Amino acid sequence: MRTILVLVRKDFTTFFRNKAAVSLTFIVPFALIWIFGGVFGINRKDTGPSGIPLAVVNASDNPAAAKLLAALQAEPAFKVITTTTAADKSSRSLREEDLAPLMRDNKFRFALVIPADVVSEQEFGLHLKIYSNPRNEIETQMVNGILQKTIFANVPQLLGQSLLARGRAFIGPDRQNSFNRGLADNIARSFGGSADEILKDLESGNFGFGEREGSSAGANAAGESLFTQAVHIESVQVAGQDVTSPAATRIVGGWAMQFLLFALSGAATALFYERDHGIFHRILAGPVGRSQILWSKFLFGVSVGVLQLTVLFVGGRMLYGIDVENHIGMLLLMCVFAASACTAFGMLIASLTSSPEAASGLATFVILVMCAVGGAWFPVTFMPEFFQQLSKLTLVYWAMEGFAQVLWANASFVELLPTLGILGGIALAVMGIAVWRFNRGNIFG
Amino acid sequence: MLSLENITKRYGALTALDGVSLRIEAGEFFGLLGPNGAGKSTLMSLVAGLRAPDAGGLTLNGHPLTADDPSARLALGLVPQHIALYPKLSAEQNLRVFGQLYGLGGATLRERIDEGLEAMQLADRRRDKVQTFSGGMQRRLNIIASLLHRPKLLLCDEPTVGVDPQSRNAIFEFLERLNREGLTVIYSTHYMEEATRLCSRIGIIDHGKIHALGTLDELLLKLPFEEEIRFPADGGTAALVAQLGAQGTVEKTEDSYRFRPHAGVKLSQFYTLTESLGLPARLFTSQRPTLEALFLHLTGRTLRE
Ligand SMILES: Nc1ncnc2c1ncn2[C@@H]1O[C@H](COP(=O)(O)OP(=O)(O)OP(=O)(O)O)[C@@H](O)[C@H]1O
Ligand SMILES: [Mg+2]
Repeated sequence: MRTILVLVRKDFTTFFRNKAAVSLTFIVPFALIWIFGGVFGINRKDTGPSGIPLAVVNASDNPAAAKLLAALQAEPAFKVITTTTAADKSSRSLREEDLAPLMRDNKFRFALVIPADVVSEQEFGLHLKIYSNPRNEIETQMVNGILQKTIFANVPQLLGQSLLARGRAFIGPDRQNSFNRGLADNIARSFGGSADEILKDLESGNFGFGEREGSSAGANAAGESLFTQAVHIESVQVAGQDVTSPAATRIVGGWAMQFLLFALSGAATALFYERDHGIFHRILAGPVGRSQILWSKFLFGVSVGVLQLTVLFVGGRMLYGIDVENHIGMLLLMCVFAASACTAFGMLIASLTSSPEAASGLATFVILVMCAVGGAWFPVTFMPEFFQQLSKLTLVYWAMEGFAQVLWANASFVELLPTLGILGGIALAVMGIAVWRFNRGNIFG
Repeated sequence: MLSLENITKRYGALTALDGVSLRIEAGEFFGLLGPNGAGKSTLMSLVAGLRAPDAGGLTLNGHPLTADDPSARLALGLVPQHIALYPKLSAEQNLRVFGQLYGLGGATLRERIDEGLEAMQLADRRRDKVQTFSGGMQRRLNIIASLLHRPKLLLCDEPTVGVDPQSRNAIFEFLERLNREGLTVIYSTHYMEEATRLCSRIGIIDHGKIHALGTLDELLLKLPFEEEIRFPADGGTAALVAQLGAQGTVEKTEDSYRFRPHAGVKLSQFYTLTESLGLPARLFTSQRPTLEALFLHLTGRTLRE
């Protein structure tokens, strides 16, 4: 043990003498979460996309269509384009036939056409046309979702009009007019209000789903009340209610693992330096065993890993308000186990290769696969069944699970124990293979 | 003190040591002379327990030396062929780490570090990072680091590679002093001058085999000639060369000839011939043959190729 401590202390002295290594160790995690946080829009008030170019061609003179256009322009996710610049530099309104060429030119990737027959007497429902150049799957799905939300939230009366138009086609305009008149009179008599106003509402398709057009709350409120009236969803959150920074808390485990794996597998390649410079020869010629060298490297790797994770979480605390202080004990425990697993992984990579270049090549490949499969980039539940099973074999999955248990679900030590056990098991098994490989001669030349 | 019995070591298909037997007595300064790839480092690494032989056995003071028993190696120090130091640590920090690995500490370690740095004239650089040292200084430190635990047997694997003459002399004097004080040294090199100057006994190694073993004098006796005469190759000596065939062998090297008389041929016969040809005596230099010549004679190769 004394031997191991001498070696670990030596590694630390070397480490702290290397200004570049020290600043990288402390600055990189910080920079990383700052950049990642920016990319993923952590803690931004308006989460979700913004300013996606959306071309709109409005060929309808229906007032509801103009209202839809206005609502789209008010939607922060979109930057609505309605005009195009002609060859003579003059600006004119977009026409439907402009869309495809402009989209092929990548001027915008989504367009909405409100045709003249947005509401027809031939069929129930709205007639809208969406053009898209779905270069990015997630973007396309989000745009479709936001478009639908905006349409239904803002112009419920278009649907009402559609219903009326169908009715008119079915019973004839005269009979419908007298029906509406009678309905309006009846409503006014029973509930008060002006029968003329009510008739106007009915004829514009506004069946009182929300507040009246022109009233104070505006378009959005009308839509929301339409939905809340239609389906009433009561939401009960069973964990994470008091998580102060949900987005960052969910994602931080994945970042931590990715970062640690790269850092610690890089550190393990120091073994090659010591081999190539005869340092192993010198040490092993004395009363030091091979496994002592390896365990000293392991201990050093874990210490540096824990140090880096600490910086990462302090950064997460400062930048995104991740609740670190209420979980310090369990978090530290998780850091030690995650760092152990990552260090063991780095040692295994070093034991399987014979040069630092080969090691970092192999490490990069395996780390990227583990992070992808383990769910650091993409929720595991979105993956095919086979990969969901596979992900449970990666240390990334279990480490993320552990961090989530601590930060999200306030897990107690006992609750965390199985995850710690699995991580510790992975670390021991992987380290066992590495020690066995090293002892058989590989890295000692 | 150290004995190797029929040691064979292979790396895959390559046989690096091929049935080597060797006995080294306490107090010897033993030289292992051989060119690149001869098997010198392999032999050192077997003695130091870094590798296990494929066949044969080693004993140190009668106890078997095995790769997995570190305690038997406490009496042994290895100066690796590489500069095995931590470049980011100072000279002193390096020595402290290596001393501590041998269980040294406190005043004892401090004294030995001071002593070593002093002897190798590195005391004033003790706090500087090793990466700022010249090659020669690093080599000197590389030796000190192997002596802190006061081994009885020191294995020096080409400790002077890339060192200027001044550093080299410092190293020689240091090792000679330690040897006089009782340290047994095994010193590998491909410089015959080093082996000639330092070693009381020399083994000539090539292709994993010891080709000759003995003191310098004993080794040189293995040559079929005792003296060698050089003279310039020009028009004046051409007639001499034509008549020398019966007395010995003549070899041409660049712009000079080298004459080695056959056994039994007296040098006086040679000089009688040169006088009769009217060649002045100053053209001829006579010298003892070298280990280089012996190596060539034994292996058909030169030491540096
Ligand atoms: N780890 C190894 N794996 C495979 N072959 C090796 C290994 N180490 C040495 N060899 C081979 O064994 C032979 C002896 O090598 P060794 O290093 O003992 O020679 P050396 O006398 O020390 O040479 P040098 O003067 O170049 O240091 C060489 O042919 C070398 O290529
Ligand atoms: Mg060598």
